[in-house]
Amino acid sequence: MDFGDVINHIFGHFINPQKRIFFGYFCLSFFIGFTWLFVLKKKSVRTSLAIIFSRNVWMGRSAKVDYTIFILNRILTLFISPSLITQLAIATAVYFWLHGVSWLQVGAFAQWPKPVIIALYTIIIFVIDDFSKFFVHMMMHKLPFLWSIHQTHHSAETLTPITVYRVHPLEGILYALRGSVAQGTTLALVFFLFGSSVSLASVLGINVIVFVFHIAGSNLRHSHIRIRYWRWLETLLISPAQHQLHHSIAVEHYNKNFGVALAIWDWLFGSLIYSQADDAVLEFGLLEKGVKSNHSAWILYCKPFVHLYGCACSLLMMSKYQIVKFLRYALKILSVNL
Amino acid sequence: MSKSKLGATALVICLGAGLASADTNYGPYPITLKGYNGMKSNSVSYTGQIARHVLHDSVKKLAGTGDGGANSGRLAAEILSYFHGSDKNKSIIAPVDKGEFNIKQETLNEISSGKNLSGKTYKGVINAWPGQMTGPDVIVSMIKKAAATKGGFDPVTGYNYPQLISKFTMGAVSYNQTVNNYLDGKLAADSKPNNKPYKEGAYYTGKEHSWDEAFGYWGAAAHSLNLTAKQNYDIAKMKDLSAADANGDGLVDLKSEYNFGHAYYGAAFDKGGKTTYFNTITKSFIDGRKIIANAAGEKLSDGERAELYALAKVIGDNWEGIIAEAVFKYAGSVYKDINKLQDALSAGAETDKIYAAYGKHWGELKGFSMALQVGKNNLGATAAELNRLIGFGPVTMNNSYVTGVDTNGNYAMDRRRAWGDYQLHMLKIQKMMADEFGVKARNNDQLSELEALASSLSATESAETD
Repeated sequence: MDFGDVINHIFGHFINPQKRIFFGYFCLSFFIGFTWLFVLKKKSVRTSLAIIFSRNVWMGRSAKVDYTIFILNRILTLFISPSLITQLAIATAVYFWLHGVSWLQVGAFAQWPKPVIIALYTIIIFVIDDFSKFFVHMMMHKLPFLWSIHQTHHSAETLTPITVYRVHPLEGILYALRGSVAQGTTLALVFFLFGSSVSLASVLGINVIVFVFHIAGSNLRHSHIRIRYWRWLETLLISPAQHQLHHSIAVEHYNKNFGVALAIWDWLFGSLIYSQADDAVLEFGLLEKGVKSNHSAWILYCKPFVHLYGCACSLLMMSKYQIVKFLRYALKILSVNL
Repeated sequence: MSKSKLGATALVICLGAGLASADTNYGPYPITLKGYNGMKSNSVSYTGQIARHVLHDSVKKLAGTGDGGANSGRLAAEILSYFHGSDKNKSIIAPVDKGEFNIKQETLNEISSGKNLSGKTYKGVINAWPGQMTGPDVIVSMIKKAAATKGGFDPVTGYNYPQLISKFTMGAVSYNQTVNNYLDGKLAADSKPNNKPYKEGAYYTGKEHSWDEAFGYWGAAAHSLNLTAKQNYDIAKMKDLSAADANGDGLVDLKSEYNFGHAYYGAAFDKGGKTTYFNTITKSFIDGRKIIANAAGEKLSDGERAELYALAKVIGDNWEGIIAEAVFKYAGSVYKDINKLQDALSAGAETDKIYAAYGKHWGELKGFSMALQVGKNNLGATAAELNRLIGFGPVTMNNSYVTGVDTNGNYAMDRRRAWGDYQLHMLKIQKMMADEFGVKARNNDQLSELEALASSLSATESAETD
């Protein structure tokens, strides 16, 4: 791999329609944000543009950490990604396993009309993928050792679309594995039952539903533009304002709105809150002992390992009684959420 | 096509072939044997191998002519006379004229006399077939069983004998003789040296004839490198006389103008555009023969033999690749046939034709898998796993399958397997062929659609989160 390939790998997401930060989605998000501020919020053109392109947001210290972590993570994926299990490997294993299930027959529903199969697959893969993101995200907030790595993302004090990449590498691995398991399992099952008619309804190479999610302003989730939906719609879909509440340091917003595209998961698991009508400024970031803490990329990379080391040491030093107590606590967290 | 058009076409091909013949035709090559004073001007000779291809084709054809048992004794004797060879000048049963595709020879002695298959069949024990028999014994057993069936197919066991016999014989004779004998032991310095005649009175040297015989077993027409994969495939299918008839006499000379055996399969895979098995192997044979011809009857140097060994490895690897591709392809066919059978059973529809096609494809799968195991490489655990996955027999309509054979030659079918389990075995076979042999043509790939679906989803390398 030469230098050009490395540069392409790092910044290729900006020209890849499969990625949220594709420049086309960026432009649409700016347009949606401007329309929201200028048309609905009656801001002047100058004010609207000033809010969208705020120097404090885009060139602030937090944003610079976003950019640094983005580049470092892109470089790290060069080395990590090849060794991760792919959705194809999981799909193949599941597909093989399904052949041994006596009450299932290959192509049992292969005679269904092709458009129905395509629509079904496109919806199923989207819904399961979205649920798996919700669930893993929720666990990252509920389980201490996962929270220690997810803090990197929540340390952002200003939100830019690049904040979506502000994650600890361990979280990146966890999310990649989540994608492999969710997508691999689903596509194996659907392909097993519906046969060769299965294909994805796609636009620009991605699931048409994900495409709609992106052109509808997915980048505004990590921004300071508080776009809200109607209440009924916020029960179905997470609005940018709802995700911004998820990043808020206000106690009443803790552990709310874990969803990515669909809000129904939060509604089902009791973690949904709706956006607020007032224009109160939300504060983002992390509180440590009641004080907002600032972090460099280096600290953000290392700190989770220190936390994890502490967790491991505690676990090793536990008595049997303590281990049982810890497991009960973990089960309690899980049962509350399930 | 009129005779004049045919002649003109053949002439054009002849002229074209003539221009390119030095590098693209297998022969003619000059006599280099020191001290030879005869009238021969071309040292190429591999008619014995062509005769064996014809014996194989004839055995396969005859194995499918049983009438259900009434003619079994006579038929078995007739087939065995081709397998073991005969003092009589036997008629060629296959290939024979088909439409305008007229074959020059009608009897075996017009090609070469006194040839047989049994003497050149791999003599080791065949673990892939019930009974722990040697290669020749397996084929004799199959021939006798075939003669007692109707049309070569036994619906009880699911065995399609013409396919089993054919695909195994191609491996046990042609492939095995080439990679284990002519391109192995006979390339050694002291074996069949190039400064001596192959045998007393021969007009070709030891190395010339060893290499020629290997080429003969490969089965490609001498001018085949001038043709496309599709043309070479169509020659074996007897569809393209103009491509076959290199000398323009309106007839196909089996001794040099026809594609036999694995060469045909190589062309079949290559016409898909993903592989070049046929040309790679044929060109390697031509390159090797030129090295021998250029030695001008002198003993080959170590360097020249090293070049031949290198070419032999290319030939052996690609040849093995062709057989692995065939195993891959027919594992996919069997998988698809089971789907069709299950659909028909669910719908209460007729299954006889589907089951017969399933048996035919399984016979090809099994035969090729057995051929794969008689090459130069000891496949070890891969062979054991391949045999376990395919089994001794296909899953039959009552889910039983052959598990062994008793001393009287009766097959035991005392176990049952679900269709889904057997389909899984086919998938694992395809994966094995891809992983262990690197197959590229991948006909009837049953996992490619799953791979395509996976690639249509977003890659896992992203660290996006929320």
